[in-house]
Parts: sequence; C-alpha cells; structure tokens
Amino acid sequence: MDVLNELMMGFAAAMTWQNLLFAFVGCLLGTVIGVLPGIGPVAGIALLIPLTLNLDPAGSIIMLCAIFYGTTYGGTITSVLLNTPGEAASAITAIDGYQMTKVGRAGVALTIAAVGSFIGGTIATVGLVMAAKPLGSLGLLIGPPEFFALVVVGISLLVALAGRSMVRALISGALGLLISMIGIDPVMGAPRFTFGMERLLDGVSFVAVIVGIFGLSEILSYRPGKNQAVTQAPGMRALLPTRTDWKRSTPAFARGTGIGFAMGLIPGMTGSVSSLLSYGAEKKFSKHRDELGQGAIEGVAGPETANNAHANGALIPLFTLGIPASPTIAVLMGAFLQQGLTPGPTLFAEHSTLAWTIIASLFIGNILLLVLNVPLVGLWTSILKVPYPILAGLILMFMVVGAYTINFSVFDVFVMIIFGLVGLGLRRLDIPLAPMVLTLVLGPLMERSLRESLDISHGSFAIFLDRPITMVLLLIALAIVCSPLLKLRKPAALVAEDPES
Amino acid sequence: MQLEEAVSNDATGRRVPPGRWPILIGQAIIALVGLYAFLGSLSLGLWSSLGPGAGFFPAVLGIFLMVLVALWFVQERAKPTVETGGETFDRAQVWAVIASLVILAAALPFLGFQLSVFAFLMYHLSFRARIGRVKAIVISLCGSVGVFYLFTTVLHVTLPVATLPPLSMIGL
Repeated sequence: MDVLNELMMGFAAAMTWQNLLFAFVGCLLGTVIGVLPGIGPVAGIALLIPLTLNLDPAGSIIMLCAIFYGTTYGGTITSVLLNTPGEAASAITAIDGYQMTKVGRAGVALTIAAVGSFIGGTIATVGLVMAAKPLGSLGLLIGPPEFFALVVVGISLLVALAGRSMVRALISGALGLLISMIGIDPVMGAPRFTFGMERLLDGVSFVAVIVGIFGLSEILSYRPGKNQAVTQAPGMRALLPTRTDWKRSTPAFARGTGIGFAMGLIPGMTGSVSSLLSYGAEKKFSKHRDELGQGAIEGVAGPETANNAHANGALIPLFTLGIPASPTIAVLMGAFLQQGLTPGPTLFAEHSTLAWTIIASLFIGNILLLVLNVPLVGLWTSILKVPYPILAGLILMFMVVGAYTINFSVFDVFVMIIFGLVGLGLRRLDIPLAPMVLTLVLGPLMERSLRESLDISHGSFAIFLDRPITMVLLLIALAIVCSPLLKLRKPAALVAEDPES
Repeated sequence: MQLEEAVSNDATGRRVPPGRWPILIGQAIIALVGLYAFLGSLSLGLWSSLGPGAGFFPAVLGIFLMVLVALWFVQERAKPTVETGGETFDRAQVWAVIASLVILAAALPFLGFQLSVFAFLMYHLSFRARIGRVKAIVISLCGSVGVFYLFTTVLHVTLPVATLPPLSMIGL
C-alpha cells in the first residue's frame, strides 16, 4: 500500500506540465536519435546531457529516460522501412519487418512494434515498482565487497557478450578503468596521471569521452551511401493491424515481455541480446515459426516487446543496486551523478519523491511514445531524406556544444576530439567499445569498493572469500571470463552493427 | 614483385601482410599505455599500513593490460584479424572532420560561438556536402545564431562569446 501511495505521489509530481513537456521532448529527441544514422543511443544520450544541466533533477532525469526508451522505438522505424537498424536492439526486427514492408505491410509492422514496446515497457515498469522497495532494502545490506563482486559480474558478462574476442573486450574494459583513474584518487587524494595539468585534477569529462568514443568515431568511420534508399511512409489506414495480426502477436508479446524483463535484470546484458533471444523463442514456440524470416508478424512483435521490456527492466539494477546493466544505462547513471544523485538503494531513502516521480514518468513516457510515434511515422521518415553530410555537420556542431557545456571549457572539446580518434583506432582494431563505457562509469565506484573492502580487512584479500555472496559472485565472474564454452555469443552480423558493442 | 613489396618483416623475422601493421602498432601502443600506467603508479605508492595505496589499482590494471596485449599478440599470430576484419574508414573524411573540429575548438574563445560555428557549418555544408549557397547560409545561420540563442536564452546554458575587440563590441 505504501508503494502505491508513493507511486501516486510520483504521478502527481510527474504530471506537472513541465515534467510532461520534458517527457514529450525526450520521447521526440530519443526517436530522432534512434532514426538518425551515424549516432547511437549511447552517444546520443551523452550528447543531450548538457541540455538538461540547468533543469531540476527530476525534469533532467525524466527527459533523459524518455530519450533512452525513445531511441529503442526510433531504431525500429529504420529497421522496418529501410532494413537498416537505427540501433542494435532493433537489428533482428529488420528480418521480418523489412519483408513486411516489401509486401506493403510496413504500417502494420510499425503499429505492432509500438504496441509491443508499450506492453513490454509498461509491464517492466510495473516490475520496477514492485521490486524497488524490497531490492532497495536488500541493497542497503550490501557492503563494499559484495558491491565490488556485483560490478565484476556485470563487467565480465558484458565482456563475454561484446565483440568477437574476449581478450579485446577485456582490453576495452581495462582501458576504461584506466581512463577513470585520471584525476584525484578518491581515497588518499593524490593526483594520478594528470600530466601536471590542473584541468585533469577532476578527471576527464565523462560526457566528452563518451561523445568522442561513441559519437565522433561513428561519424568518422561512417560510410555514406549504404543508407540511401528511403521508403515512402505508410498512410494512416495502412497502420491498422487485422484481427489475425493481433491474435498472432499476443503470445509473442507475452514471451517478449518475459525474456526482455528477465534479461534486463542481469547486469551486462544489452537490449540486442534480449531481442535476439526473443526471436529465438519465436522460432521455437510460435505456431507460425515456418513463416519467420518471410514477414511473420511474430518476428516483429517478440523482439520489439523484448527490447523495450529490457530497457525498462534494466533500470531495476540501477535504481535498486546502483549498477548499470548496459552501456546506455551507464550513461544515464553518469547523468544521475552529474545531478548530484547517486543511483542505488540510498536513492529511495534520500530522494524518495524524486525516485517515484521518475518511475511514474516511465509509464507516462511509454504512453506518449505509443500515441506519438505511430501517427508521426511520416515525420520520422522525412528526417531520413535529409542528406547525410548535412546531418553530419549538424551532429558535429551539437557534439562540440555538448562537450563544451559540461564544464564551459574548450579543453573538453579537445578531449572529445582526442577520444574520437581513440574510438576510431579501437574500431579499426576491432576492440568493442561497450565494456569501456561501463568501466568508465563504474571505475571510481569499483576502486572505492575494492579499497574500502581491503581497508575493512586490514589489507587481506581473504575478505572476498570469507563472505559467501561475494565468493559466489566472483566465482560466477571467473567462470564467465574463463569459459570458452559460453554459448551466449551474438552472431557476427549483430556484433558488427551493434553501437552498444 | 608486387607481393614482395606488399609484405615486410616483423620483429621476429616473420613476414607481415600490410593489413596487419595497424594491429601490431595498436598492440604496441596499448602495451605502452599499460607500461606507463604501471610505472606511473609505482611512485603513487602501492601499499600502506592502511591497505592499498593510490597506485595499487592502476598498477594492477597496467600489468593486466600488458598481459592481455601479449595474449592478443599470440591470438593474432594464430588467427589474424585481417581475415575477420575491423572497421576501415575514409582517411580524407577523417582528416577533414578532425582538422575542422580542431580549428573550431581553437577559434571558439576568440571568435565566439556564432561566428566560428557559422564558418564550421559553411565549410561542411558548402565544401563537403556541396549543397546550394543559399541553403548552406540558412542552415549555418540556424545552427550558429539560432542554437546560440536557444541555449543562452531558452535553456540558460552559456556558450562562448567573442573576446576579440571588434567582434565582442557587436555582441558576437
């Protein structure tokens, strides 16, 4: 009952016109980022953090969350209409979605995707409401050793799933940790790797690094020409699914929600894994599995429901334990920290109203996406008609603005440029970028928890073996990293297209 | 003859196809980063009576990074990435974008946001995108003056203004 009361209070706060406007603008911007070629959700959200710097914390996080799940829908539009996923989680949708477009059923695919996204997102948010309090209380019992072990599990899972080689994924993670070490040491206060520059005492700007590594390097490596074809947007009448479409989609919605929500809870899993597993489930359990790959509605309904359930479910570890489950969530966590909020169990204790306002806004955002996106599909496709060089020029300008406005310093623009080149080099070397983002955000927290643990034990590493939860978690992490038998790897085609990897 | 020119020898005397050189250079750079982190952290103090010092974590990471590069080197010799493929890119595009960004970043404190971004967008739209002059001017004005006022007046986020006297006097 307490939870319901708090949620209702959250709704009251989220439904002020300002917060509704932030959710609305966030949904629009998120969809645009999802649709645009050359900019993924990670860089897109990092890029828009400066827009929210002068907003109050609730408005800022509401807008960024709306951008986050808006990108998942935006990616679907290009998957279905152009056979080009705007973001990784929608890649699998392209298989059947584009086949449906070829036979004039693009509108139906987009409507089913939107409804599936709404169902998956809403049910996952209900899960967040139910899990928030108990998991939050559990989180308060977690000490530094357990936190350290949990972070290690999250990073090792992401490392196992990112890219083609685990060694290169580990290199990416280690580089991210080293970048996060730049600046004043959090425990002793000693400057590290600052090269004598005062500007580096606070570390390198998180936004500048992310925008450089993900955004600028994407623009630098983008080859225009592969996304030239633009399909005509479907009319309003073509958007309506038949009774058979609904009937066939319903079980896929249910399976997608279950898979996406469960995968979202596991730190290290990205949305693309959920949609891939959901497609696999459809191949196994759907009554019409023979039609998959040839324009079956289940091939759109399942993965799209799964990726939105994942997006909202992935907020549970962030809100309750303070652990980002994916690179995009890690950027969101960075935004929380920029606003002076530490996600995790203390969020509910110290900023209860704010936490519930954000949760309530997730429901509102899902409704807004459903209402806005299907009728506006014509607008989204018209964005794709803008020639890429024009888009690239404007995106580059916003990158400069984003990097500059974090500290109002040109130094950060140079940091962004340098990390753009670093990102380009990593892409050339086939080193996945996702582990780096996660370790970049988690690095300071991971180091602090490790050192606090060793402080507690007076320098003895036995503390990690004495505590059962910590030991089990570390063994799981070790098994993940060491096991070459892990079968959860993504197909090479998905890895290559995955902006989160 | 061409094949002989296209291959050269690595440190161990084995012939290296040209596509593998960037990987070898990348491995060397990452190994050097690891070495720098390790050596740099020694002076920070690895351990104190209270437990790990400021240099402990970076030192461990430095060693870890070097070990990983060694593993990667061995893997590369067994199965070169050239065959599986990292991303390739257009060098002219990279240099054009990087040079324009560096010039923009250097000009921002002196010319201010509006003028420098206008010139930046004009370069990208007129010279790189090759769109019509009028269209390029309109888009550049929206992207420079428009964005400046959007951020400073609506979002209350400060953007740099010109510091050079004639420009600063006219509010740029």
